[in-house]
Formats: sequence, structure tokens, C-alpha cells
Amino acid sequence: MECPKNSDGAELIVAYAAGMLDSGDQAAFERHLKSCASCRQMAAAQQAVWSALDELSPLPVSSNFDAKLYQRIAEEQQLGWWQHGWFRADWSWRPAMPVAAACVVLIIAFLVKNSGPVITQQEQVQPKLQIEQVERALDDMDMLKQAGVEFAFEKTTPREQI
Amino acid sequence: MNPEGVNTPAAQPSWSGRVNSHRAADGSLERDAELMLRVRDGDQASFGLLLEKHRSPVIHFLDRMVQNQAVAEELAQEAFLRVYKSRVRYEPTAKFTTWLFRIATHVALNWLRDGRNEKHQASLDQESWDGTARQVPDRSRTAEQELVYQVKLREVRQAIKSLPAKQKAAVMMHKYQEMEYAQIADVLSCSESAVKSLLFRAYESLRVRLAHMA
Repeated sequence: MECPKNSDGAELIVAYAAGMLDSGDQAAFERHLKSCASCRQMAAAQQAVWSALDELSPLPVSSNFDAKLYQRIAEEQQLGWWQHGWFRADWSWRPAMPVAAACVVLIIAFLVKNSGPVITQQEQVQPKLQIEQVERALDDMDMLKQAGVEFAFEKTTPREQI
Repeated sequence: MNPEGVNTPAAQPSWSGRVNSHRAADGSLERDAELMLRVRDGDQASFGLLLEKHRSPVIHFLDRMVQNQAVAEELAQEAFLRVYKSRVRYEPTAKFTTWLFRIATHVALNWLRDGRNEKHQASLDQESWDGTARQVPDRSRTAEQELVYQVKLREVRQAIKSLPAKQKAAVMMHKYQEMEYAQIADVLSCSESAVKSLLFRAYESLRVRLAHMA
């Protein structure tokens, strides 16, 4: 057998220490160990690690583990209508949220932009119309005066009465 | 334990031909995958059976990962809850234990990464000797043997704790769950050669740290 240190030896030594080699490979490796001090040392060290890890035995599981778990599952199921309804936290249309937000922002921007000029136009157009109407009325009065029409308010002004 | 979970005979599976499943060598669907498919179809009793079978291995795996049994049980609750919540999406594309340990490993790695372990470790150090005092004393040992044992246990725990999280997970699955390299690779979402490398580096680190115990 070729010395495993010269090839893919680490895996072989780990597997040997773990007792994971099949009987043929194990016998071949053990024959090699007899003639290779270096591998013998590595295998012994690896077996020591393996034995040390065996010391790490966990404690028994708490008796109320299942009860707590089923309690949590029941709590989850109470929330089921929320989680499985249309208003889910993991909606499939969740990626559309940024697009929707951008649309809302665009609509608001459009409204703000368009609402300003409408107010200004109203404020500007209305006085202009009023002035034109007054001017037109005065022109009409002048024409009528020239035509000899007398207006009632000209006859009875307070100054004339005094 | 849920009394419904153990004794109720499970219904005939209705999944036949519906999934591209992970199958055993004889072509039959793995028993755990069958049970999980029944859970998916609403059979609570099958979830009880899976919990009964995998509760201890998962908690022990997590206990060795986080070195705190209370935290391990909390994380195991989280893992099993995720299994239950994921039932509707379950497809047996891998061994059930691969899927289960992938969830458990994910939960443990998140916990370790978030640094929550440091807070718990601080409280552990106050109340016990790095958790070793939790170990039930063996009455067959003398007081001196017990002390030596506790020191040895502490060193093993410290050596494991010093490993990077992924190496630690690989060792726990290899050593204690006796998983094949391929399955560990599936759980950790990496290649088999990466698993061998992780394990070799982990065992080498442990050998160096625990050399004096040989």
C-alpha cells in the first residue's frame, strides 16, 4: 500500500479513526501502519480526537419540549388567516411595491405641478376681464353721450342739489 | 408529546406520481419523506411521528453547536416550527434529514453569526464552568476521576468552540449524526471535496488542541 501521507491520506486516516473503512481497506491500512511510524502516529492522534469527542454527551431533552412546540404551532395557526390571506408579508407581488410607490410619487408631483398655474391663471384672468368690461362700458357711455343721451345720475348729483 | 402524533395510523399517501422525489435504493420513497408529504396534506399525526424520531438528534446537534442546552432547545423549536410552516412547499427532492439539518444548521449558524452566543456564554461562565457542570456526574467515578473528567470535557468543549462555525457543523454531522460526505455537502450547500477539506482542517485543529489528551 502506498503511504496515504503521499496521496489523499487525510481522508483515509480520518475514516480509519472513525471506524468507517470497510474491512478490506481497514486491513490494508493496518498492515501499512505496522511499517509506517508517521502514519501510526497520525492515526493514533486522530483516534484520540475521536475518543475525546465521544465525551461530549448531551443532556436529555426537556419534558415540555413538544408541548412548547405545539403551543407555538397553535399560535402560528391562529395567525393563519393573516398569513394565508391576501395581506401576506411574503406576497408574490411584493417586488411591485417600489414601482407602486414611484407611481404615487409621480402622481403627487404631477398634481402639485399642475395645481399651481391654475390658481395663478384664475387670479390673473379675472381682474383683466373686469378691467376690459369697465373700459367697454365707459366707451359705450361716451358713444351714448355723443349721441345725446343723458344719464339720470348726471342730473341728480348731490353737488348740484347743494 | 402530542398524543395524536404517535398512535394514529397515517392515511394512505396520496402523493403517488406527483413529485420528482428522493427515493431509496429500492425505488420506494423514503419513510420520512412520506410522512412529511402527509404533513403537507394536513396529517398532523405524521408531524408527531417525525418530531418523535428527530427531536433528540436535532437538539443534540444544536447543543453541540451552540454549547448551551436551553438555547439549543429554543433553536430546535425554531427549526421544527420552520419545518411545519414550510410543509405546504415541501417537495422530497433530498433526504428528509438533509432538509431538516439544513434548516437546523441555518438556524444555528445565524445564531452564532449574530453574536448572541457571546451574551449567553457570559452568563454560562458565571453559573458553570463553560457548561461542563451541566453534565450529570457519573456516580461510578471517584471525586478525583470526576474532576479529571470535567477538565477533559471542558477542553473538548473549548476545542470545538474554537472551530469556525461551518467546520463545527461539518464535524457534528460527521461525528455524531454519522452522515456521509455527500449528505453533509447537501446540508451545507457545498461540494463533497469542500466537506472533506472542512473536516480535515477541523480534525487537524482538534488534534492540535487536544494533543495532550492522547
